[in-house]
Amino acid sequence: MEMSRLPVSASQRAKLISAGYTSLSSLSSVSPFDLARDLKISDNEAHEILKVASHSSRLGSSDGSHAIVHGAQTAWDMLHEEELLARITTSCADLDNILGGGINCKEVTEIGGVPGIGKTQLGIQLAVNVQIPVNYGGLGGKAIYIDTEGSFMVERALQVAKACLEDILEYNGSVRKKFQVCEVKMQPEDFLENMFYFRICSYSEQIAVINYLEKFISENKDVKAVIIDSVTFHFRQDFEDMALRTRLLSGMALKLMKLAKKFSLAVVILNQVTTKYSEGSFHLNLALGDSWSHACTNRVILYWNGNERYAYIDKSPSLRSASAPVFCDRERDPEFSFKLVNESK
Amino acid sequence: MAPLRSLERDYPIIDSNFQQFCASHGIFSAAHDKGNENCELWAGTQILSPQSIVEDLLIHDLYVLVALAEQHSTSERLKQGITQALSIIDGQHQPWLNGMELLEDAQQNKHVLSTGCESIDTLLQGGLHEGHLTELVGPSSSGKTQICLQAASNVAKKYMGGVAFFDTGNSFSPKRIAHFISQSSGPADKEANHKILQKLMSNISCHSVFDFFTLLDVLHQLKSNLRFQTGGQLRLLIIDSISSLITPILGGRGSHGRALMISAGFLLKKLAHEHNLCVLVTNHMVGGEGGITKPALGESWKSIPHVRLRLSRDHGGNICEMSIIRHPYMASGKAARFMIS
Repeated sequence: MEMSRLPVSASQRAKLISAGYTSLSSLSSVSPFDLARDLKISDNEAHEILKVASHSSRLGSSDGSHAIVHGAQTAWDMLHEEELLARITTSCADLDNILGGGINCKEVTEIGGVPGIGKTQLGIQLAVNVQIPVNYGGLGGKAIYIDTEGSFMVERALQVAKACLEDILEYNGSVRKKFQVCEVKMQPEDFLENMFYFRICSYSEQIAVINYLEKFISENKDVKAVIIDSVTFHFRQDFEDMALRTRLLSGMALKLMKLAKKFSLAVVILNQVTTKYSEGSFHLNLALGDSWSHACTNRVILYWNGNERYAYIDKSPSLRSASAPVFCDRERDPEFSFKLVNESK
Repeated sequence: MAPLRSLERDYPIIDSNFQQFCASHGIFSAAHDKGNENCELWAGTQILSPQSIVEDLLIHDLYVLVALAEQHSTSERLKQGITQALSIIDGQHQPWLNGMELLEDAQQNKHVLSTGCESIDTLLQGGLHEGHLTELVGPSSSGKTQICLQAASNVAKKYMGGVAFFDTGNSFSPKRIAHFISQSSGPADKEANHKILQKLMSNISCHSVFDFFTLLDVLHQLKSNLRFQTGGQLRLLIIDSISSLITPILGGRGSHGRALMISAGFLLKKLAHEHNLCVLVTNHMVGGEGGITKPALGESWKSIPHVRLRLSRDHGGNICEMSIIRHPYMASGKAARFMIS
């Protein structure tokens, strides 16, 4: 059974066991060449297997540290770290309020809503807001935008970037008069340059991109936000094997969680909602069902109440369940809603 | 396979003479454990390695073997070798316990840990039991993580115990832990409260685990650390949520995922029993027949946790309900309602 602990493929495992390697210790003293010869596999494969085995057994031995598990953090340290983490503002004061200041880094936040409520707009806004320089309360980081539906519009992003820049300059002018030396030399086009855009056309591409993100982000360390719009699109229709779908989705969810934690960035996934009839009334439920519901750390659902947009915190480990009207049309820019209508597809 | 020749390093009595003797009778392997490199030859130390394999030596007829050894010139040494090999094999399994010893162990070592919420404690006749694998199952946002956090802070506070939290969804919230701990403390001065908070929160450690094999590695590491641990007693182990680690490997063509899931369950139960830990895991729900939701992880998982509790929350409300699905000595179906602060 020890061999089951190794994350190798089933055929490799079968070859190992039938060749007589049934415990991790038996792998510790064999050379890659002997292993390749015994198993009749290539040298590279043997090398990979031995690497994985030595990693497992190294983790298994006590390293003398006083932490109960190597790599764990105490709650006290995490508390202090949490206080220092900046949040990404959504440019919508009410939404920021119920989120406790904005979108959190190191967490996966899911935003769901009916079509047309403004999820993509919010996604674009976040991709711009993450680039706000640190001096002005932002993260000064880059953004990755993964588009599965084709709803990203560059012209809109440019508009949002311009508006954001105007905001910063206004703030600069009105408050920080004595710091005029730190002039903002950014242009709206710079915002666009710091957004990495991936267009996805099938579910296999989606999985491939998410697998690739780890390597990409370790090469571009200043990425601070990953926005996926929308995560469920390619999994909803025409999936014959539901069990495979569950496995793929839960694997994807874990990878996103790992990205968020490892690189301290915010992962925002946009999702569609369906209505479900239970207990005598209709509820808005996110697409992909119960198995996907644990894939996020926080969940916000946007819905219409009459003519107004409301946001509702559906799931959060530390925020209170709250509902609030949100005015995505910012008051300082009364032409915002006008532009939305103009630019609609 | 554990060839006899590899035992020679640890047990010099099993020398080449003995090996030749055995080889002449078709015995090439015995039990083998690599975990304890420095065993003394006659110390008869306890070797705990469930993965060791017993092969040819046990299959052989030992009386016949001893009789054959008598005829050999170096019979004394050979017989000692046989005895040593047999004692290695004997050391592989746990000692037998009778009912009285089990009862004593349960009364003295397996305490009950309060969860911090009175209604849950009343429902569970005291709280979470050490030595039990307790599962919390419920739909999303029904309060599973909150109960885990509350139990963690209560164990740290009331029992001064260590807590290990394995987090798969980045939902460990130190802010909530601080809230639970300072909730029931008296109106002492801020300085003392701060120190207490620091001390208690330093006993809770959180580790992020994002795939199943890492979990297995970490659990094995925990097992060997606990064996040599002296102070800072670990009392509670939480995995939130174990189902998100198992779902990617469950199903498909092979049954390998299920085998891994069950072996993880056994490992957790063994940790709970041997080190008097309380193990708490969370699970989510999936759609079943007729639209009724049921716990994830399927039929094979159902029999693994000792205690299974189902949670539900009124939509939009703050009242949660917990009912017992399975318990070693309480009727299932009993329920309690409570509110998470």
